[in-house]
Amino acid sequence: MSAIRPGDAHLRDEVRRALAFLETPSSAPATAAMTSDLSIDEELNLHSISWEPVELVSGISLFSIPYGYWNWGQGEIVAASEAHSQAFATATSRIQSETAKAGGHGVVGMHIERAIHPTHVEISLVGTAVRPVGAAAINGTHIFTSDLSARDFTVLMVAGWEPLGLATGASFVFAPRRSMGAVIQQQSQNVELTNFTEAMYSAREAAMERMQRDALAMKGTGVVDVKVLEGPMHFASHAVGFVALGTVVRLAKATHQPIKPITVVSLNDLAVGFDAQTLG
Amino acid sequence: MDEPPRDLPEAAQRRFAQGAFSSGLSVSDFAACLEMGLEPVGLVQGFCAMHWGAFTRTGVMGRGVTPFAGAQGGWVRNYQCPHGMVSAEHRAWGQNYEQTWIEDAWREGFNSAYVRMMEEAQELGAHGVVGVIDTENPLSDTGVMEFHLRGTAVKLLDAPSTAQTPWSTFLAGQRLAKVFEAGYAPVSIVTSVASIRVWAYCVTEYLMEGTGGAWAGAVGTFEVDQIVNAQTKVRDLARARVRATLHGDSLHGANMSVSQREYAKGDLELQSRLSGNRVRRFKDFDPLPVAQPTVRLS
Repeated sequence: MSAIRPGDAHLRDEVRRALAFLETPSSAPATAAMTSDLSIDEELNLHSISWEPVELVSGISLFSIPYGYWNWGQGEIVAASEAHSQAFATATSRIQSETAKAGGHGVVGMHIERAIHPTHVEISLVGTAVRPVGAAAINGTHIFTSDLSARDFTVLMVAGWEPLGLATGASFVFAPRRSMGAVIQQQSQNVELTNFTEAMYSAREAAMERMQRDALAMKGTGVVDVKVLEGPMHFASHAVGFVALGTVVRLAKATHQPIKPITVVSLNDLAVGFDAQTLG
Repeated sequence: MDEPPRDLPEAAQRRFAQGAFSSGLSVSDFAACLEMGLEPVGLVQGFCAMHWGAFTRTGVMGRGVTPFAGAQGGWVRNYQCPHGMVSAEHRAWGQNYEQTWIEDAWREGFNSAYVRMMEEAQELGAHGVVGVIDTENPLSDTGVMEFHLRGTAVKLLDAPSTAQTPWSTFLAGQRLAKVFEAGYAPVSIVTSVASIRVWAYCVTEYLMEGTGGAWAGAVGTFEVDQIVNAQTKVRDLARARVRATLHGDSLHGANMSVSQREYAKGDLELQSRLSGNRVRRFKDFDPLPVAQPTVRLS
């Protein structure tokens, strides 16, 4: 394809050609339909490394959590952590299965929706299955999933790396209730609530370790674009949660390929560096 | 989409005949249109207010009439209680079923607004409609939904009018230019809706309440099969419906959204909507070179 050249006759010719083609009675294609939620920019990026979108795919899972696990106890809320982990793994397995059926080699731009309720965890994954142009289908267990955009996927591949899958780790931990004496003693002080700090540290370490274990199981070198979601649970005043997820990568070529970006500078006027208040 | 009915209001015909064009395009998109050789000829619109007449048929009050009340010819899956007779309140059966009457009403409302918009475009002699925006607004609490579609009708410069139905796309401006450069011609916007109602049976109810382990004789986490089945099916139906309209063309820039309403533990109504641009390849795969990465200095 020639470069996009607004202002010359090329684009107009292409538009005329395209629209004339639509009016051709035999223009209806005989090929299978392709569906994708990628933008046209993302698709052009994929095409530039000879990959193509194949199909819009999804995977859903919902696991129950037994009643009453969130309010009283010590240490990790194991049922909640397990439900999150199982729901993620099951949803991932389903989106991989759909991708394999569509002939894709991986999923990019995956939208991850998570809902954590007192009695269940729901995970919804939607993304576009992609493959090298015209490549044959592969086994479902080798299909990667990633929430990287098609642009980031392209840059990663150009740099000689490949995504292996989405690694996740989640942990939900009780923040032990303070004794009555401690509450009274600390009421009029500015003081760190170590029960919450320690609970958060505990949840963080468990979640990060689980994500890293996922990455090692995929034989990855590292995890990129890690998202960290942490904080108190709105429905349980003495529980904190920590979830980490990111794309596992490894070097696909012998060495990292420098992408050598060029530096650009905008010549548009920036805001004038003058502030009337400084005159006072 | 169906053929548009010829019911353009007389006032609209008068307005279109006045000469000056209107457009919903931004200045940038307007400039890009001209670069592509597409001349805006008018802001075209279509409306339809639909009454959801049967919407409450399977509301909360409907439960318990019969396990097969909701099928209505659409997809359905039944669930049977494994416990035997427990009590009159025990949810001895469950069902996931497609609410075809809601899907039909939505489709009729959207398509009517679409064909009315396209009728205006044809009246203007347009070849296509770009930058389509569609909105749905409840008009009142009585189950009335207003569908409103609008876009900018365009003509190919120096080209004769065509008798064919104009093409349409949600895209405009540079993004539309890139579609042409990528080797695709826009065909039409496509959209579909799927609606599924979940009557939870006892196992689903208990799992969603968090008491399922006790009934199952075990404590732990369990997948809630009935809900997962409904959530999966509501997406599958929307995708299958869009795919059926493609006829070998491709769907670009798809947007899938799922909404959920819970009436009681496990009693859900799910609705998915999928929309995007149907495009047709007009030239062979001819990729751009890998884009040059840049770093911006500010």
